[in-house]
Amino acid sequence: MSSMSSGRIVGRSTGDRIILVLVIALALIMMAPIAWIIALSLKDNKELMTDMNSVFHAPYTINNYVNILATSSVFRWILNSVIVSGGLTIMTLVLSSLAGYGFARLSFPFRNTLFVIVLLGLAVPEQAVLIARHQLFSWLKFHNTYHGLILPGLAAPFGVFLMTQYFRAIPKELDEAALLDNASRFKIFWKVLLPLTIPAQATLGIFTFLSSWNDYFWPLISGTKKEMYTLTIGIASTQTNFAQSEGLGFLMSQAVFAGAPILILYLFFQKYIVTAVSGAAVR
Amino acid sequence: MTHSLRKYMLAAASALALAVATPALAATELTVQRFFGACDAEFGGNTDVSKAVGECGIITSLINKFNTDNPDVHVTVTTVEWPGYDQLTAQFAAGDPPDIVTVHHSVLGDYQSKGLLMPLDDLLKTVGVSPSDFTDASLSGVTKDGKIYGLPIDNWTMLFHVNVDLFKKAGLVNADGTPKLPTSVDELMAQAKQFKEKTGKPYFVQNLANEVALYTRNLYTYLFQQDSDFFADPKQVKMNTLEAKKVLEMYKAIYDNDYTTKDLDYAASINAFLAGDGGVHLNGTWVIGDYTASSETSGTALNAGGYAVYPYPQLFSGKKAQYADGHSWAVSQKDRSPEEEAAIGKFLKFFNDNDYEWSRTGHLPAVKAVLESDAFKKLPHRDTIAPIATLGTPLPSTVQRQFAIQDIIGQEMNAAITGQKDIDAALADMESRINELLANI
Repeated sequence: MSSMSSGRIVGRSTGDRIILVLVIALALIMMAPIAWIIALSLKDNKELMTDMNSVFHAPYTINNYVNILATSSVFRWILNSVIVSGGLTIMTLVLSSLAGYGFARLSFPFRNTLFVIVLLGLAVPEQAVLIARHQLFSWLKFHNTYHGLILPGLAAPFGVFLMTQYFRAIPKELDEAALLDNASRFKIFWKVLLPLTIPAQATLGIFTFLSSWNDYFWPLISGTKKEMYTLTIGIASTQTNFAQSEGLGFLMSQAVFAGAPILILYLFFQKYIVTAVSGAAVR
Repeated sequence: MTHSLRKYMLAAASALALAVATPALAATELTVQRFFGACDAEFGGNTDVSKAVGECGIITSLINKFNTDNPDVHVTVTTVEWPGYDQLTAQFAAGDPPDIVTVHHSVLGDYQSKGLLMPLDDLLKTVGVSPSDFTDASLSGVTKDGKIYGLPIDNWTMLFHVNVDLFKKAGLVNADGTPKLPTSVDELMAQAKQFKEKTGKPYFVQNLANEVALYTRNLYTYLFQQDSDFFADPKQVKMNTLEAKKVLEMYKAIYDNDYTTKDLDYAASINAFLAGDGGVHLNGTWVIGDYTASSETSGTALNAGGYAVYPYPQLFSGKKAQYADGHSWAVSQKDRSPEEEAAIGKFLKFFNDNDYEWSRTGHLPAVKAVLESDAFKKLPHRDTIAPIATLGTPLPSTVQRQFAIQDIIGQEMNAAITGQKDIDAALADMESRINELLANI
């Protein structure tokens, strides 16, 4: 018994070791391009142009980062990205939760038809509605405003679908018990069900924030004034015409700079993000 | 006494209010939108243009100087990612375009044909800029339907950038030590063969991966050199021709015989040329400064035997020509006050007057007097590339969607040259795709 137990432990340990080695190898493979980008960002542009191997030896410089920070509008662009991505994430969570609760728990005429119509939104590519939306926003004078950058993202059929499925999976007995205690529909939603959907909301929030932070095309054609650029548009606008050859170090520092806020967020909220994503996957 | 004091105070307050409110004291605001990047750290406050280098540095310093020299006008600059046309089109659609914007000569027609740009003939005349000041290539680039729709600031084209050391090793130099360039397709193939045998390296360094522009510019150049009128009708291209086939066959032979680098993108091709991996780099006017600097740095591949640069050689028996484009300042069409129009005129004249400074980027000046000036001729290698001012040939000004056409040509040429598609099929597809595009404008 003891030896069997010991054998299982040894076997599992070997398996664990193999998995660990594989995980480390995969992590290194995944981190190699990031390390390459960081290394390039610490080199002088002219040096990289004449000798790419110079990346493997000193001198290194932080001048590329200094140049980014010296761009007068860069902090405004970061603020714009935070407002747009943060605002969009909060509003998407509110709307998707309310809509998901409604579709999952309330009875009203044409509920299923309406749900199908919402889901059809998943099949409509953004490009198909781009011109019509741009014209509408021009007419409404929404371009170069925060709401002009946030509103299109609020049509989030995936969020509604995710939250609907999540609410449906919660036992109805909880609602019934609360109803017996004379709780209103909104109170049931707010006090009883919403706290149970935190993992789904975290997942939806993370995906919404990331996609909004990295969004390029809509901010490019809607926020066309320099003071309304988001970070992605702003840093792209600072690239010289032949940045990939003549300004490679600067280009890479821009990539690091744009990605850093997301990385910092991840470091702070790592525990919640992993729980959220794995929780959503299990469910 | 009290009454007098009150009177004086009232008079002083009135004078102050008048001074603050007088419109004449307010600077006229102009919005300028441009590509060429941002370089605030280095040149954000620089007004000494002679100290600026590179496209970004020079244009930033020029606009700084304009703002300093003209306190009655204030220019606000928005930089956009190259080339910025998605953004510009969206701005026009939203009715909020910038006053002045950088536009390629080849793209002016897209906006001019829709009535979005202001003809500049009268405005330029009022500030003393005459069309006869411009070089032929730049004037034809900005003239649409007989009117000028942009202030040309340069012409640019592709060039033969030569590693002279490798040419010497290949035995391809003239008695005076200058590189021997081919005068026909057969001679090109023979020289490329000799180059490879003697140096073990490919004759050409080309960026053939993730690329469309180089293919297209090469094709246009060698079609012009065969007098092919492939855009006789601006809405109906003829690409499935014997002339086009000759060009594609030439490039396919170069590819098949390993006379060119393969699988390099733009950045990698520059690194390869600077590392001495081939004899001729096909690249634009804008790298002359960087290559010259490299050739002056000891220990580099270009320092070994020197660097030279030339227009494309004449390989066919037609007119001497090569494809050229250029940059211009265009002005959006909208209602403006006389003060605003005058401010725009000042801005355009300022750039016209400072065309020499811009020509230090490597681009060819748009102003004849600058092209012929000693100062310009003293810049490195300008003597050998100056003929572009007369050789440079754009597509007919009435051809629209030239950037989209470039994508199609590049994709089809890449397929044909790398052997993914038969040359005849590629040319047929090229022609039908372009005509479909133009038919739907």
